[in-house]
Amino acid sequence: MKGAPKNEELEQLLAAEFGVTEFPADAPPLVDRTRHLELATKLKALGYRLYVTVVATHYLPQAASKAGPEQPEHFEVATALRKPTQGGALAAWRCKLAVGEGIPSLVGLFAGADWQEREQFDLVGVRFDDHPDLRRLMMPDDWEGHPLRKDYAIDTACTPWR
Amino acid sequence: MAVKEDDRAFTHPLYDFMARMPGLDVATTSVDKLLTWGASNALWIFPMATSCCGIEFMAAAASRVDLDRMGTIVRGTPRQSDVMVVAGTITVKMAPRVKKLWDQMPEPKWCLAMGSCAISGDFYRDIYSVVPGIDTFLPVDVYVPGCPPNPEELMHGLLRLQEKIRAFRAGKPRGAAERPPTPEHMRRPSLPRLDDPTRPDELSLLQTQSAGSLGHGTEMNLIELRRSKAGEALAAKLAALRAPAEPAEKKE
Repeated sequence: MKGAPKNEELEQLLAAEFGVTEFPADAPPLVDRTRHLELATKLKALGYRLYVTVVATHYLPQAASKAGPEQPEHFEVATALRKPTQGGALAAWRCKLAVGEGIPSLVGLFAGADWQEREQFDLVGVRFDDHPDLRRLMMPDDWEGHPLRKDYAIDTACTPWR
Repeated sequence: MAVKEDDRAFTHPLYDFMARMPGLDVATTSVDKLLTWGASNALWIFPMATSCCGIEFMAAAASRVDLDRMGTIVRGTPRQSDVMVVAGTITVKMAPRVKKLWDQMPEPKWCLAMGSCAISGDFYRDIYSVVPGIDTFLPVDVYVPGCPPNPEELMHGLLRLQEKIRAFRAGKPRGAAERPPTPEHMRRPSLPRLDDPTRPDELSLLQTQSAGSLGHGTEMNLIELRRSKAGEALAAKLAALRAPAEPAEKKE
């Protein structure tokens, strides 16, 4: 994943108040999932009032290799906010979730997060805690499973339509 | 020449009246011709346009090709239409809606599959949410290939449909019986087509129920149904049908 342009303001905030020490060049910084809502609140107060996107990714368990240490199955949720000015700065960060863990919903802060979070819940199966209406958005209501998980077979049959 | 009572492919009150009157045989034949002319030259279309084929369909309906010349009027409601033109990819979520709209169309009705996606799902056919061809749940009369087909090709498809309607009214049985057998190296749809003799009856029943319960608060829970004994039996039947045409690692 190509990282967003360097954001000094965000990095200072994360280093000072959120105990983040690593700022990889090719990915947004990792923030503890329990402080997700707190970070978003602070950024909104700093002028990041535009909710750009939320993207959840599923990772299968990985053995230790050159690429990195051993990883259990987990999810990463990346969120991006922007200052709604010309050339406004972008603030993006990631949260890591183990299987079964949820992440605080940002619907209370940004109304636009509603459907975006529903979409990620629908396709990847990440739970957004305190979301007012966490239903499927794209797949039919009687769909089984979350199709964008890495272990979902693409040719899964769906009786009676395919 | 009189039309024999047994050969009739349709009924109409006027026709019945004339058939009963002595000496009106000639008029009966004329009425038959008139009705056939009307049926084949007033094809009101219900556009089931879901993607880029829909744009091409609009081009066909606009002034350059002008489908109106042959009496086709595009209607926004299935209840006043004769032909459903399915133009685009049909997804698993859309399929019960399409089926429901089709069921609302009055007989006699015709179905035209426009473009590769409607015909077979094209390169989306293996995706978890795409129906591999609408002939797995709709009786398609004319296939118009292309990605997307030209407006001229759609026009040609409709002219072929007119031929088919004339043949049907002359007593030829309707149906896709002339389809050549699928070559061995080509994959069949993952579901049997409507005209497939191996197609289980439960499949059609399930599709109709799934479409029929849309939006009435009596949503049939397909998850429960799939997990029931009948649902599992149907899934096993379908898997067995699928097995010979699919590579071994595709088995579920």
